[in-house]
Amino acid sequence: MNFLTHPVIILTLLTVSFSTGKSHAQTPERIDLTAFPGEIVKDVVIPIPAEIFAVLDKVGEPDWENAIIHVKTDMGVKDRGFLAMSFGSLVAEGFIAVQAESSDDIQKIGRRSLEFAEALGLENAVKQHSLTVIDSAKDNQWNRVRAELDKTQQTVRNTMDQQRDQEISGLVSLGGWLRGTNVLTGLIADDYTVDKAELLNQPDLVLHFRELIAGITGPIRTTREMVEIETGLGRIDAMMRENERFSVDVVKKLHRITTGMLEQFYFDAGAEKE
Amino acid sequence: MIPLKHMKHWKWSFAPIMAICLFTSVPLLGSLQEGVSLALEAAFPYVKDGFKIREDNWHGETTSNKPLLVKHQLFRGNEYWFWAATSFPDSDVTVSIFDGKGNSVSLESFSKDGKSGVRVLPNKTGTYFIRVIVTSTEHKELDWGLVYGYR
Repeated sequence: MNFLTHPVIILTLLTVSFSTGKSHAQTPERIDLTAFPGEIVKDVVIPIPAEIFAVLDKVGEPDWENAIIHVKTDMGVKDRGFLAMSFGSLVAEGFIAVQAESSDDIQKIGRRSLEFAEALGLENAVKQHSLTVIDSAKDNQWNRVRAELDKTQQTVRNTMDQQRDQEISGLVSLGGWLRGTNVLTGLIADDYTVDKAELLNQPDLVLHFRELIAGITGPIRTTREMVEIETGLGRIDAMMRENERFSVDVVKKLHRITTGMLEQFYFDAGAEKE
Repeated sequence: MIPLKHMKHWKWSFAPIMAICLFTSVPLLGSLQEGVSLALEAAFPYVKDGFKIREDNWHGETTSNKPLLVKHQLFRGNEYWFWAATSFPDSDVTVSIFDGKGNSVSLESFSKDGKSGVRVLPNKTGTYFIRVIVTSTEHKELDWGLVYGYR
């Protein structure tokens, strides 16, 4: 018998290779989250829409092309906070256009993001990203566009953080999350499954955004639009905590709420495709 | 509503304060960003396997052996790697991941040369907890950086 084919040798080799591999073979560790003996990091990283869209693509064939909405938001005398939210939503629109692999739409969004950046006084920080988005879209380099959109949003947030303007930085994230959730609820409602609806289980993110709005200082906090957005987040929070599984009716309600919130700063009324 | 024409000017009134803050925080920032850069270095080989690395990250300062806990939303259907690092030589980093009940959900991990990584395939969409521990026998104050990727 060949030495290497002997059953005992094979078993020994398998045992050795398993115990020296990277995988954990020990009893799974458990930690007490109610009494963690260390530091809880306060910084929150918001997932980009592309992360969630990637899952949706694995479980179906969403109609991304029809989900893109081109807004004509008037930036004339808008508060800086709403501009930041619109910018975040526009970046989310870019992620939708990437899923649709629509080069024309991405180029339009790239140019539009530059206009928003100028209005925010960030054209220098964003210009190169926008140009790369446009050029990569022309060459159909979708992964490059995705990475550049993430960089665009991050550059704006970093610049705001450096200027000690965490409030604006947070509002960019809120705008992106809101548009991402809006398109997600629309697509899930169109072709509902329990598995897809589970993607909406994000109560801690909603709580984070509610705390962000509660902490806003300045005149934007009491505007009718911001009060609408705050009320909407409260309703979403309640729905996410009340429902362990989201029925198609709950998903449709979430979609209507997010549409109403986006109409406060991003969508023109009736802009959404039926 | 604030007219756009006024927006670019308001920040200059804070310029002296910002300059002082920036000046005093430069050495710290340099060090903090190094932890993130090294974590990204650990992540780089995984890009060819289809992982998309996020730009956003967590970083900061810590003391040796003090566990840090990061809360993060994950989605069932995606696969994730988290990579942590410190810029201090002769230091170790470990990164582990737990579900909302505190159970370890780490599938695979490594820890080498001040860099560490952990892989997870969430079986439920929701909030997860990433624990980072930096240890050193020589340094008490240490930097750390944490990045992640998905596919």
